[in-house]
Amino acid sequence: MTFATMLQTMGSGMLKTILLFVLTLLGSIPLGMIVVFLKKSKFKPIAWLTDIYIAIMRGTPLMLQLLVWYFGPYYIFGWSIRGYKFPALLIGFIMNYAAYFAEIYRSGIDSMPVGQYEAAEILGYGKIQTFFRIILPQVIKRILPSVTNEVITLVKDTSLASALAYAEVFSLAKQISASQTSFLPFIVAGVFYFVANYVVAWIMKGIEKSMQYYK
Amino acid sequence: MKKLLAMGLSVLMVAALLCGCTGKKEGGRVFKQGFDLDYPPYSYIDDNGEVGGFDVELCKALCEYKGWTYEAVPFNWDAKDAELNAGNCDCIWSGFTKNGREDEYAWSICYSDNTQMIMVPDDSDIKSLADLAGKRVGVQTATSAYDLLQDKEEGQGELRETFEKLEVYDTYTIAFNDLQAGGIDAIAIDVTSGNFLMSGTEGYHFLDEALGSEQYGIGFRKDDTELRDEVNEALQALVDNGTYDEIGKKYPEIYEFLCLKPSSEE
Repeated sequence: MTFATMLQTMGSGMLKTILLFVLTLLGSIPLGMIVVFLKKSKFKPIAWLTDIYIAIMRGTPLMLQLLVWYFGPYYIFGWSIRGYKFPALLIGFIMNYAAYFAEIYRSGIDSMPVGQYEAAEILGYGKIQTFFRIILPQVIKRILPSVTNEVITLVKDTSLASALAYAEVFSLAKQISASQTSFLPFIVAGVFYFVANYVVAWIMKGIEKSMQYYK
Repeated sequence: MKKLLAMGLSVLMVAALLCGCTGKKEGGRVFKQGFDLDYPPYSYIDDNGEVGGFDVELCKALCEYKGWTYEAVPFNWDAKDAELNAGNCDCIWSGFTKNGREDEYAWSICYSDNTQMIMVPDDSDIKSLADLAGKRVGVQTATSAYDLLQDKEEGQGELRETFEKLEVYDTYTIAFNDLQAGGIDAIAIDVTSGNFLMSGTEGYHFLDEALGSEQYGIGFRKDDTELRDEVNEALQALVDNGTYDEIGKKYPEIYEFLCLKPSSEE
């Protein structure tokens, strides 16, 4: 196998990695918000259930979760899971990352001083208005560095999809390395991940900058 | 008096400990067997969490015969070359296929034959290799079945082109789960691993038509021929004294493929 074909094969794997990454972000960032609201719900059973959900998502390996999401329907209901691999991967990644994002959001929301809510109330803001107009913009600004951390971790975590034979870049690197008895594919995969994360960090830096409206 | 007694006893104990150490060292070298920790029945982590399998037992017997200290070096199969070249293990001994890798390692005598087969559910409409056209087939990465399906010149690369998809798994265990759950239609696997997977379940069989065949040997670093020769000699001795046969009988799914014969029969 020439270096060019290797790059080409691994490039196709990188596209699959990016597809999984982007769809996971699109799903988990909004879902995390919903999870935070559920966790802060006044109706206690919902808050407890959300706590259990977060505990399981954070307390068990993501790889195990992926296996359960994929094989669960067969082992529990006896359904055929033909063609269900990619949806299972997406569900697994989104549910897991939503739990982490929810906790990051919570850290931001809880860090807001009570005085702001009180001031908003005096100025005649409603509850929803207060949250979306006053609290949320500050929360987003505050949590961005933590979110960047999580997003970068996600880029690398996509390699766990190889557990379900999803041909992302790292599992291709393993396959090529084994059949060519060469370490080179791993280096190439490392460069791919690094470049992808560099781009992610650069974009997040741009967003952070655009939010420094007090400077 | 008590103090003196205590001192005398501790000196004795330390002396005994030291004797123990030197006694072990005199036995010879440490032999580090590198193997895949999930490649039953050749090498795996058994029900008690200990390493087991035909290759592991045979290697332990060989170390006992040579008076060497056995050391297990389980690894992920992808990492085998890195582990061997870094000197973390002395050999790769784990149902390791010689065919196609003849020039890359110093090979021992081959101790087992194997065949690559296609495993399908009993109710499958796949009856021959040709029926695999348009089907989803699973395989484990870095196995000979995988290599066979990549090789267009001497292997089954062209057959692979007819599949709808070739799913490449980290382990056959997951591939078999997927076959049971209906995610894929067939698995390309060597016959011994396949027999092991099917031993716990009913409803699966091999197609009559084989995908390919191969021989298992022990792979040493290319410049390590001295150790290889020593192991070869010891291996033949274990065949002659019946140990090889004895261990083989514990693994009925591979027994018929063990190919070494006592030197008197040759």
